[in-house]
Amino acid sequence: MTSSACDTASPRCSSMMEVCEASSVSLREFGCEQSLLSRPDGSSSFVQGDTSVMAGVYGPAEVKVSKEIYDRATLEVLVQPKVGLPSVRERSQEQCVRETCEASLLLSLHPRSALTLVLQVLHDDGSLLSCCLNAACMALMDAGLPMSCLFCGVTCAINTEGEIITDPTAAQEKESRALMTFAIDSTERRVMMSSTKGSFSVHELQQCIAVSQEASEKIFQFYRDSVKRRYSKTP
Amino acid sequence: MFSSLKRRVDEVLLPGDEFSFEADDTISLTEPAKPEKAVCGPGLRRSGDRLVVCKSGVLRHKAPNVFWIDSQQRRYVPAKGESVIGIVTAKSGDVFKVDVGGSEQASLSYLAFEGATKRNRPNVQVGDLLFAQFIIANKDMEPELACIDSSGRANGMGVFGAGGLLFRVSLGLVRRLLAPQSEVRSDLETLFPCELVVGMNGRLWVKSSSIQQTLIIANLLQSCDTMTAQQRKQLFRKVQQGAL
Amino acid sequence: MKDTPLSNCERDFLLKAIEEKKRLDGRQTYDYRRIKITFGTDYGCCFVDLGKTRVMAQVSCELVAPKENRPNEGIMFFNIELSPMASPAFEQGRQSELSVKLNRQLERCLRNSKCIDTESLCVVSGKTVWQIRVDVHMLNNDGNLMDASSIAAITALCHFRRPDVGIQGEEVTVYSPEERDPIPLSIYHMPISVSFSFFQQGTYLLVDPCEREERVMDGLLMIAMNKHREICSIQSSGGIMLLKEQVMRCSKIASVKVSEITELISEALQNDKAARKAGGRCGFAESMPQERITALKTDETPVETTDATERANDIVQRAEAPPQTVPSPVVPVPGVGQVGQQNTWGLEEEEEEDEEQEETRMEEDQDEDEESGGGDVVEISDSEEEEVVVLHPETTGKAKNTGSSSHQQAAAASQKRQKK
Repeated sequence: MTSSACDTASPRCSSMMEVCEASSVSLREFGCEQSLLSRPDGSSSFVQGDTSVMAGVYGPAEVKVSKEIYDRATLEVLVQPKVGLPSVRERSQEQCVRETCEASLLLSLHPRSALTLVLQVLHDDGSLLSCCLNAACMALMDAGLPMSCLFCGVTCAINTEGEIITDPTAAQEKESRALMTFAIDSTERRVMMSSTKGSFSVHELQQCIAVSQEASEKIFQFYRDSVKRRYSKTP
Repeated sequence: MFSSLKRRVDEVLLPGDEFSFEADDTISLTEPAKPEKAVCGPGLRRSGDRLVVCKSGVLRHKAPNVFWIDSQQRRYVPAKGESVIGIVTAKSGDVFKVDVGGSEQASLSYLAFEGATKRNRPNVQVGDLLFAQFIIANKDMEPELACIDSSGRANGMGVFGAGGLLFRVSLGLVRRLLAPQSEVRSDLETLFPCELVVGMNGRLWVKSSSIQQTLIIANLLQSCDTMTAQQRKQLFRKVQQGAL
Repeated sequence: MKDTPLSNCERDFLLKAIEEKKRLDGRQTYDYRRIKITFGTDYGCCFVDLGKTRVMAQVSCELVAPKENRPNEGIMFFNIELSPMASPAFEQGRQSELSVKLNRQLERCLRNSKCIDTESLCVVSGKTVWQIRVDVHMLNNDGNLMDASSIAAITALCHFRRPDVGIQGEEVTVYSPEERDPIPLSIYHMPISVSFSFFQQGTYLLVDPCEREERVMDGLLMIAMNKHREICSIQSSGGIMLLKEQVMRCSKIASVKVSEITELISEALQNDKAARKAGGRCGFAESMPQERITALKTDETPVETTDATERANDIVQRAEAPPQTVPSPVVPVPGVGQVGQQNTWGLEEEEEEDEEQEETRMEEDQDEDEESGGGDVVEISDSEEEEVVVLHPETTGKAKNTGSSSHQQAAAASQKRQKK
């Protein structure tokens, strides 16, 4: 878990070379639907461009004795690939999502119970892990589980020219030199989880974190708008 | 002091939203300083000198100082004193195991019925419906139900359910049905006479004079979550005029 | 996780309602729930909504060696995944009875009915053939998973396009979709499964049972049929005895339902084809219901990055520069290098020391201990086969501490002496 200081008041670095181009730094259109499945306690589907993930949450429910933890809830995350059975790639995604969820959920409020989060990949067109994180957060919120903060996932790719691309497509991911996914929390914009691939400098890492923090604002605003819309008919 | 909370009543809040309680800048010298207390219901948590929202939903306020978050959750978490509809799943020794939709099955002593003694056991079968109240419900202990109140009376609780239909709705709708002067309930009264049992765990049981009417009421109630008051009234009026 | 138990009250009510020819959702006896077919962005991806039941099918292909007894036929593989998302009763990675039953029925419905021309999937006889894999994922279980799966699987197969291949001698080249248009599978007919549930020992019959109806039913009859009214597979489960007339009646109903559903599938396929030709966007994102309050979509949003660069620079500059000089490596033994501090726990070098020396060292330790004002001291002595750990309890009094610790150490030392 990394954390970075957020200090916006930095008037002195204006002479530095502008590395990222404004054109590539954008999020694809994204959408979300909550409570779309009747069986789970909370469900959501999150779409980023063509990438889409469906999430379902059950819990707090009965826990198997072998998995029981006496002072907190057991969180299980399952990632179902579209083709074939879950493999190592899915296991690593599961772990990334689970660690992020564990950090934001108040698991100690439901000891000796089970939370199951199932993520079904519907289409992978890049930034899959960040889409999984976003779908997971919306589903957890829909299930009404107590959380200390929200989180969102942002994927940044650095291409061969050194430009930063946020929310890359599968083609852009393929051409990139480095790929980073961050989970960012909603209260202090801290980095809760990072998963990186490829090589990059410290400066590029910091820049990607800063860009992700900016992008997270948009996603959190989107979360707020969609929850507001959802409760718009509640008197 | 509650101005920051009160200002946001009826607003949609998300987990991580905060309220800070700083002392007023000016302290009146003439009036004695009165400590104000806020009572936080579901969805609000104290963390140091701040109040943090931990569930998404609408902030509600009840005079004088009760605040909570109203959410459309579906999974029930037992709370002491709440009345729920349970399904008996097992009889073991001198307790019944009851499914209430929470994370653990609740236990119900066979003595916790009106007029029950060691010899005179209540007639409860596996699969029966029960309307009961939580006497123990916290995160660390097995929840326990009782079908009698503190004075030993049944007070409407006990085994029920012959001939009616049980179905699930969101916990938010249940609270709306149980609220005093509930609009949904008064709208429902305009339709046909029916018996309704409302469990805080999101289970409803309806019985009307015919199967058709019971089904209509069940389907209407299930669709109430996603309708505005106006849409609901319109639909109920349609049903009343015999559209279904 | 366990499913919610079914109460007696629900069972009685359902049976009574069925007797009165009423269903929970207001359907008639022979009605299907609303069927909605949507396609994903890829070829061969299909979503089917049957009321609240929801399944997804994805078809994929790869080049494999054929089976020995059928050297010039492609291979069909079906897999129904009962994902725990669909129902709390489903468990990950466990073959349940239901999953075996559904998989078997789907295989009989689609593979054994020979609805797909497997010979056209042969690339090089006896060497390479296409293996077509159909993964069906359950997303939400509200009853009648079989019919939803069979509709999803056959529609996905109709929608699927495999890449074109070229053969030059022994070389097999697979062309990307940009180079050559992918080829659809050749499908002879479309078998669709229709489920009938029986109640009261076969007295009452319902088409397309929902989850609660499935729980109270006595028996289930699944008939897979194509629009030419050819029965592709028939299976009865639950151990009820059906009369010939009942089966005949069911097959008649099935033929009507199958022609309706086939019509719907072809319409959906045509719509999708038209949409793809027009170059419009298609896929799951487009199928999201915009009118619902639970759904929201945004357009592409640019991210303000003007201060991101500045902030990153700032953090990098403010961060402590890593030390440029690397501490010189220590070489304790030839062939071993070490950078940094020696392990403070290690007493390996003194292994072969004799007792007296050890005792003096202990005393030294004790002196240090006194100076530091009493703390936990952990000592590991490797002179014995067993490890002796001496823990000094933290006490307030300095004098007491010294006394007790020296006592303990003396005891430890005497213990050692005894062992030797």
